[in-house]
Amino acid sequence: MIACVRVPNYALGEIVWQEMLDALDAVTPLIEDAGSGTAFLDMHGMRGDPRVWSTHVRAELVRFELPLHIGAGPNRFCAHAAAWSGDGTVIESGREAGALAPLPLEVLELESGIIERLHLLGVNTLGELARLPHGPFVRRFGSDAARWHEHARGIDRVPFLARGHAVSIEATMLGEGSAESEAAVVFALRVLIGRICNDLERCGKRAGALQVEIELEDAQTDRFDVALAAATSQERAMLDVLRVKLESARFSAPICGLRLRALGLEEGGEPIPLLAGDEIDRANVAVVLARLEAVLGEPVRRAQIRAAHPLEERFAYEPFTLPANRPKAGRYGFGEAESTRLVPQLRLLEVTEIDVRLRRGEPATIGERTVTQCAGPWRIEEGWFTAAVVRDEYDVQLEDGEICRIYRQGERWYLRGSYD
Amino acid sequence: MLPARAGFQDLKTRFSAGAGALRLAREPLFSTAIPAIDALLGGGIPYGTLLTIEGCGSAGCRSIAAALLAQGTRHGLGAVIDGGELYPPALAAAGVRLDRLLIVPAATPMALARAADLLLRSRTARVVVMTAGALRAAVWARLAKLAARTGTVLVVLAARASAELSVVAGVRLACRLERAVLRGTRGLWGVFAGFELHAEVRKHKRACSGEVLVKALTPPVVYGRDEGVSR
Repeated sequence: MIACVRVPNYALGEIVWQEMLDALDAVTPLIEDAGSGTAFLDMHGMRGDPRVWSTHVRAELVRFELPLHIGAGPNRFCAHAAAWSGDGTVIESGREAGALAPLPLEVLELESGIIERLHLLGVNTLGELARLPHGPFVRRFGSDAARWHEHARGIDRVPFLARGHAVSIEATMLGEGSAESEAAVVFALRVLIGRICNDLERCGKRAGALQVEIELEDAQTDRFDVALAAATSQERAMLDVLRVKLESARFSAPICGLRLRALGLEEGGEPIPLLAGDEIDRANVAVVLARLEAVLGEPVRRAQIRAAHPLEERFAYEPFTLPANRPKAGRYGFGEAESTRLVPQLRLLEVTEIDVRLRRGEPATIGERTVTQCAGPWRIEEGWFTAAVVRDEYDVQLEDGEICRIYRQGERWYLRGSYD
Repeated sequence: MLPARAGFQDLKTRFSAGAGALRLAREPLFSTAIPAIDALLGGGIPYGTLLTIEGCGSAGCRSIAAALLAQGTRHGLGAVIDGGELYPPALAAAGVRLDRLLIVPAATPMALARAADLLLRSRTARVVVMTAGALRAAVWARLAKLAARTGTVLVVLAARASAELSVVAGVRLACRLERAVLRGTRGLWGVFAGFELHAEVRKHKRACSGEVLVKALTPPVVYGRDEGVSR
């Protein structure tokens, strides 16, 4: 059985509405927020009958001092229609069509134009709508009409979508005075992290990020969002990362309060491969990434290969995140072919213009150095629809043995890199 | 010839002849997975070694470093302290798992040293590759000690190792280009396929010196469909 709670003439703020939904958690754990002051409550398996549930709902929402319409039915639409037709209405299972038949079309919450068209056709109630032949009605009014027709017959195929529960995990420490030393701040931080980790463990969650709010004596509040490379509930990893973040921070006044919040909550537990796994200490890596970022001023990166023709566009960098813990790629997971190819590496140099002389259409000298071998050109032409890039690329070996990648763009020659 | 000197010469000849096959007993070694280089190094590089790979121009130093990174990222993490010269598609072609490679941007010698220090102390990466910046002898000594303590292979790329770096390096490998390999004919129909390297062990704290020829080749690919370093 589904119950519907409706606030007539809904004009509530979102905050009040969310508070009402939170209060309804005491009635049932499964609540769907249908918006516009309507909520559905899944009452399957709950003790009592619709009258008891209605009393319970009213008791929970009495503090909001709002008029309520509560109905119940075997599905969402029937419950909605019951609440719409009058407070305390219950539509029994198996009697949906009969109960809905006298209700006006406005229960369907259609556009006024469609209701007018139906009125012109002599359809004024759900019962009259239900008696129309399904196929011709849908052909005339479009695919949505199939749902209206089913609703009029007491059928609702839309699944119940229970709202998610936002778990908020935070800890606060506000002192009378201010922190005398860095050690005092770290101690307070350690206490807060301990509380956060306890809460995380109790909820079976891990935090992907932390938010620290630091209250200062001059009434300012500094906020730091600290992303963790891998979601964790380990006290040590969190403390190390936060320490690194705070070590590089400067404050305008002494610290008098700390608030720590766990963000990016994920389900706890980590998949562990049955056979061989990676040799990566994920918590340790998270700390090192934070330390390196604090020291260097920019994050550690990870490269990704892209499909492109110009050399400089064949890869992109993004902040480093740890790969998923997977078993080794070898057969049965405990061994693989240990062979590596020795492959020439292109060393990208800062693009510089060079002086190239040609002989029979090929580069013969670069500056003062003679070209001994040459391969190319390979034309790269792209972006003709925006700013056209046309390049002829060559690999050349110079007399001193160095092998370079050069290219011609227009009339100018450039050095792009050298093989090493 | 004095008997002692004759004995010494004999010993030297025997070790030189068998340098390639010499194995370091009871010591875990980090294999490069390139048989010729492994044989040259007596089976691989001892964990916790500061290895310098030296060579000018297209000597193949980065190719060997890429092979080490490929091995390092097979079961753990590798790190490169990069000044903007890295070309990741070539690393991927060499077998490096890019999702396990920490690319640490560091442009100045100070940043280079601090990044290397942090990476070594944390034991995060099995292999750390960096270029030889202008660092003081004390810094090199500290990095070498950290590498030894944490069992990390620290690879330093240099045109020629400075005196300070040479002292602390556990293994010094010098490379030079033997010849470039051109696939196909010259010009439009030719493709630079790689090079043949001459690698020589200049210093090895636990094995003898030796030298070897190895080839670094780009896998053959069709123009326009490549994902690797060259066409």
